[in-house]
Amino acid sequence: MRQIQPRRNYLGAVGWLWAGNYKVERYLYILHRITGLGILFFLLLHLIMTTVFRIQGQDVWEATMAILHNPWFKIGEYLVVVAFVYHALNGLRLILQELGFLMVRPAPPIYPYRDSLRRKRPWTIAMIAVVVILALVFFYDFIAGGW
Amino acid sequence: MRNTYLWLLQLITGILIAVLLGVHMVLMHLDAILGFFGVDATKITSWESMIERSNQGIWAGLYIALLAVVLYHALNGLRNVILELTPSVRTERVVTRVIVAFGIVTFVFCSYVPIALLSA
Repeated sequence: MRQIQPRRNYLGAVGWLWAGNYKVERYLYILHRITGLGILFFLLLHLIMTTVFRIQGQDVWEATMAILHNPWFKIGEYLVVVAFVYHALNGLRLILQELGFLMVRPAPPIYPYRDSLRRKRPWTIAMIAVVVILALVFFYDFIAGGW
Repeated sequence: MRNTYLWLLQLITGILIAVLLGVHMVLMHLDAILGFFGVDATKITSWESMIERSNQGIWAGLYIALLAVVLYHALNGLRNVILELTPSVRTERVVTRVIVAFGIVTFVFCSYVPIALLSA
């Protein structure tokens, strides 16, 4: 008798970067995780800066600020802002979705039906558009406000 | 059931952070656009401006509250990422304890500074 092998669809740690057959929402999930870990890393640096260096008085504070006005740190800060904007808005989308606010009117599943993921996709695209607009606004200020 | 409550707290802290850090990011990074609307945020990282805020109890309270909320959201998020690897119950317990200990130590150390700076 012919044995049916189960389909190997377990991505494991590879699934942290490659989404296999999944669509754009899975990549948003991966990006959510990457931005979250990135912000966590920045948070630790930020806490060291605002505690260990701040408590040591004016000279140390101003020396730290001089280091942080280095263009490379400015670029890093811009990336943190974009990561924050993305993480916040994608998180808001996930919260609304989880609590059921983005569910549309139920419809009978007659053949060319749209699954729940595709019915929510306009909200996903709107979220991405807002992220891009905010990233451009912050980029304008990043250029216009001097580095 | 416990993880459900932890997750619900993750959602609530997420919304709080989106609002509070949203204000923080606008004040810190949109100084040119804020200047157009008549808000001066260019000297916000100078020592004088920082100490003026640190002397006020309301700012110290905000810093400590934000610290607690952000640390919870960040460390619970990290725990969720690690536990998604489905480790054994034993490893899960170790991960939870290490993360809780790290969070408590960081919170105590970092909330000491705004309290000490109140009288600076």
